[in-house]
Amino acid sequence: MDADSDVALDILITNVVCVFRTRCHLNLRKIALEGANVIYKRDVGKVLMKLRKPRITATIWSSGKVICTGATSEEEAKLGARRLARSLQKLGFQVIFTDFKVVNVLAVCNMPFEIRLPEFTKNNRPHASYEPELHPAVCYRIKSLKATLQIFSTGSITVTGPNVKAVASAVEQIYPFVFESRKQIL
Amino acid sequence: MADQRKCPDCGSLEIVDDAHYAQNQLVCADCGFILTEGLLTTTFADEEHLREVSYSRSTGQNEQQSRCKQRGIRRVQDLCKVLQLPSTFEDGAVSYFQQAIQHPSFRLVSLEKKEMLVGCCVFVTCRQHNWPLTMGTVCSLLYADKDLFASTYLHLLKELQLDVPALSLTDLVKTHLNSFKLFQDSSSVPAKYAENKEQMVARTIQIMELASETWLVTGRHPIPLVTAAAYLTWQSLHPAGRLTCPFSRFCKLAGIDLPPPAHLRLTELHDILLRMASQLAWLRVFSLDRRSVAKHIGDLLQHRRFLLQSAFSPGYASKGNSLESSTPAAGDTAETMGVVHIESSPTGEKQECKSRQRPLLPPCLMNPRKIRRIAPSSSAPVITGDEPILDSEIEQYLRSQEEVEEIRKAQALY
Repeated sequence: MDADSDVALDILITNVVCVFRTRCHLNLRKIALEGANVIYKRDVGKVLMKLRKPRITATIWSSGKVICTGATSEEEAKLGARRLARSLQKLGFQVIFTDFKVVNVLAVCNMPFEIRLPEFTKNNRPHASYEPELHPAVCYRIKSLKATLQIFSTGSITVTGPNVKAVASAVEQIYPFVFESRKQIL
Repeated sequence: MADQRKCPDCGSLEIVDDAHYAQNQLVCADCGFILTEGLLTTTFADEEHLREVSYSRSTGQNEQQSRCKQRGIRRVQDLCKVLQLPSTFEDGAVSYFQQAIQHPSFRLVSLEKKEMLVGCCVFVTCRQHNWPLTMGTVCSLLYADKDLFASTYLHLLKELQLDVPALSLTDLVKTHLNSFKLFQDSSSVPAKYAENKEQMVARTIQIMELASETWLVTGRHPIPLVTAAAYLTWQSLHPAGRLTCPFSRFCKLAGIDLPPPAHLRLTELHDILLRMASQLAWLRVFSLDRRSVAKHIGDLLQHRRFLLQSAFSPGYASKGNSLESSTPAAGDTAETMGVVHIESSPTGEKQECKSRQRPLLPPCLMNPRKIRRIAPSSSAPVITGDEPILDSEIEQYLRSQEEVEEIRKAQALY
């Protein structure tokens, strides 16, 4: 297999985290009372609300900031966030859907070969950090994309980045390095 | 002075021997005339007899540094002494500590974290000089929580932008075996269990090399593997009488803890050895099992290159399928993974068995956990994120008025 040839790798997005603001104060007790599928955490001052259709869990603060996690694509995250804002509107709050931003994307990718981690770390010294006593994977950080990759010896790679494009570019960038250190039977 | 001196200026007999800072002087008490002065500096001949006081032991340091820093530096020095590290390591560790303590994220934290910082500085220095020190050792010396130590360590690497080379396995084996109480000079062990240290170290290193070639080392904690390899070495050097001794008893004899993953590592090592043994002509006649393969480890290690190649290359059919540890299903999984085989000279045996040889893969691929794959349904409509939201969808998330009343009543009772 040549490193230059086009290899179609399946990048599976497992989690998208986004935030938005409602620009109004929210009464958490009212949400907890009148909303279904909600958990009120009084000690930390937040409400967890779970939506079914895009499977999303939202954390709502009384200041009006909401964080949504669990979506599998950016569009789904936006739909889920809007649905949540609509529910809050129905509960009686003057909600305005603003400042929507995707904050974090977590994706998983499988390489079709195994990787020799000590060799990989040696070749990629400043960016890669491997401590077998702490974690079985190599942690590789790409500063320009603000992405972090966890590379396992089985060839499975977990990528976290600020958006889907950064994640895809991170996988593209790492592929030649990982290909170099792949396992070959002697 | 034995004889009285007279001040040349005023004639007084009151001559006092005084020191002006470091300079000895003979001074007249009445007029202040200096009769003689000592030397301000010492000559080489004088200094030969003086013992040099290092800066860290003098009190000059105490005035310039804060108490927190002084305490930390003392702790670093104590830790280095306990671990019997060379003095260059101590200086290196102290300088790292001094750099690190400047950062607010290390200075304005709890005492517990400052202890971690001490351990981390020593650990980093050792790793940079390729001195085999494990985190477990440092944590046990500091009575520290491993997770906290790990996070402090990673934070330190990031702040000081340090580059730490990987742990060298050979040195780790030597250091770990040093702590075993099994060797001939120790008195607590019966004679048939005592062993020669050099032989044991050499063979354990060979087994560790075998393990790293067969994917047992990557990603795993090294110490349990070293312990398992040491057990196999010990059994193989004098099999008579030692084959019946179980792993836990061996660890008790050696005076070390048995880490929990060590049993799994031992099983994996046994599997690899059994597969290799199936390729060795004079061992094929024996039906080997986990216990008896230890007798033949010497032979297996001698020919390990050839045996690994022949045991794990594709297309080689094995005669005895009782030693096949994997089912054909696992072999198919390996096929679909698309493992690349560069070359593999067939050893000339006939391909009669249909079942495939297990290629050399990491153990987690051989026993893959069932991952529930959510297949991307292409029939579902593409979501754009801006679709209109219907009221009916929202109703399911809101409680009706009756439900709200019920809950209010229930809460009032409660």
